[in-house]
Amino acid sequence: MSIEIRRVTKQFGDFAALKNIDLTVNTGELVALLGPSGSGKTTLLRIMAGLETPDSGEILFHGENATDRSVRDRHVGFVFQHYALFKHMTVFENVAFGLRVRPRSNRPSNEEIRAKVHSLLQLVQLDRMESNYPSQLSGGQRQRVALARALAVEPKMLLLDEPFGALDAKIRQELRLWLRRLHDELHITSVFVTHDQEEALEVADRIVVMNEGRIEQVGTPEEVYDHPVNPFVYHFLGNVNLFHSRVGEGRVKIGPLEIDAPEHAAAQDTPAVAYVRPHDIEIERHKNGQPAIAALIQHIQSVGPVVRLQLNRQDTGQMIEAELSKERYRELGLKAGEVVFIKPRHWTVYQGEGI
Amino acid sequence: MVLKQKSILPGFGLALGFTLFYLSFIVLIPLSTLFLRTATLSWGQFWEIITAPRALASYRLSLGASLIAALLNVVFGLLVAWVLVRYSFPGKRIVDGLVDLPFALPTAVGGIALTTIYSGKGWIGQYLEPLGIKVAYAPLGVVVALTFIGLPFVVRTVQPVLEDFHPEFEEAATTLGANRLQIFLRVIFPTLMPALLTGFAMAFARALGEYGSVVFISGNMPMRTEITPLLIMTKLEQFDYAGATALAVVMLAVSFLLLLAINLLQWWSRRRLAAL
Repeated sequence: MSIEIRRVTKQFGDFAALKNIDLTVNTGELVALLGPSGSGKTTLLRIMAGLETPDSGEILFHGENATDRSVRDRHVGFVFQHYALFKHMTVFENVAFGLRVRPRSNRPSNEEIRAKVHSLLQLVQLDRMESNYPSQLSGGQRQRVALARALAVEPKMLLLDEPFGALDAKIRQELRLWLRRLHDELHITSVFVTHDQEEALEVADRIVVMNEGRIEQVGTPEEVYDHPVNPFVYHFLGNVNLFHSRVGEGRVKIGPLEIDAPEHAAAQDTPAVAYVRPHDIEIERHKNGQPAIAALIQHIQSVGPVVRLQLNRQDTGQMIEAELSKERYRELGLKAGEVVFIKPRHWTVYQGEGI
Repeated sequence: MVLKQKSILPGFGLALGFTLFYLSFIVLIPLSTLFLRTATLSWGQFWEIITAPRALASYRLSLGASLIAALLNVVFGLLVAWVLVRYSFPGKRIVDGLVDLPFALPTAVGGIALTTIYSGKGWIGQYLEPLGIKVAYAPLGVVVALTFIGLPFVVRTVQPVLEDFHPEFEEAATTLGANRLQIFLRVIFPTLMPALLTGFAMAFARALGEYGSVVFISGNMPMRTEITPLLIMTKLEQFDYAGATALAVVMLAVSFLLLLAINLLQWWSRRRLAAL
């Protein structure tokens, strides 16, 4: 089922949580709402579920206006960050809850409920835990029970509010891959909220980047990562180095370097910032006759396939982060305290002072 | 035999020793004199005293009225706690403070006030009497007095649990299709159960031991409105110490058994609710 959000606004007292939001989630898509805390992403998700009402605007489910539809009639599965499992019920009863509270006329029989719950617990790989209480499960297991519980009512869409936010790094990693696989199996329209850009980039079909109650950019992970529309998105989707400078006649001067910025051809000596991702910083031992910025290696973190360098620009004292492959690192034979020469490989220039 | 286990918390021996000494001094030794006094009676005499028709009638009233009062407090205490936690309204703080009044007020004052209001000429009593409802100087008055003194217990035990009850649970139940009644019965009520039991046990225990307010409103008619504590008082005034302690032993045994049973029930319901 598709979800359409039209010009939705929401105000909490003096705080504008959502400012005129327009968004369409297509049938079967897995969409991430990504943003810092206070960006309105959870409010938007709760409005989709009907747990909050918008001050103005409309919500359409499958083309039908559902703005005033009650939570119960929306048939959404909702997964909470802190699981919200019923503590006094076993895993089995938690999953069966949505079936047991149905009106008698379309409530499944006990056997049907048992079969349904078992198949769901198998799906989330917890079929041997059915008689345990939530307090006896680990965080990852609890969240899987919560997911099974939400799926039991055969929702038309699945909404997940920071589903892995309360879990440790390793479990998070496992669960998000598992969620992706589950989605590929079930093809249920899903929206999840996260503040973790890696999670969004890894799992989602499309990412909605939000900030201060507005949508900054919507696109596939590649689009938002490689072609961020503004400095905020650039910042939010990974580490970035900022080179403050001025742009004029399509050229930006960074210390001894000059780089092209054809999109700013009209600008005349305007303040600008060049954004460069750490892995787009090229490192050389020698200048090789070309202009480059001299930088001192302050710290090397060489664990894992990617080596991270903390560099100190010799001319301005600014800290720069660079990433390079292990092979390249060995080839160069870098050590902390040495001076190297850097230049950006790819960059994006935005006018203004940057953020 | 080693009683003391290695613990990183210092002072276990001293703390336990003091606790036992204190409990003995304040609770166990005074209560044990009850049994010593009673021991001056033979089994036959003891049995005769505790099964006298007047004594049996007083148990019935004491236990029955305490039970009804505690149950009423569970229902309305839950309601008061619910209103105080879930809604905000002007004067909420004052209402919240009022709940504790029965704790602080000398119970005799409560008893006199209730009698004044519920007697045949009182503010409320004058309207009830023509309807054939007699409160003051009747068993119903005992229930009213015991409900009054037991109110804070349920409110104060349920309130913190309700405050900790996160709206997420209700929201989760709603998204799963449950209606308000189902949410209350299947989600909220089971969560409150241990606190309600605790409140019930405390209100009940308090009601069993209450004396001050009841003597004013009940009229103290033997066989009809005489509670066991009052019967004990009467025997003491007649210098029948052994008879008084015999009844006291019965009260003690009954209270202990009831509280034990409630505690077991609580343990059972709380075990399932181990914190997430």
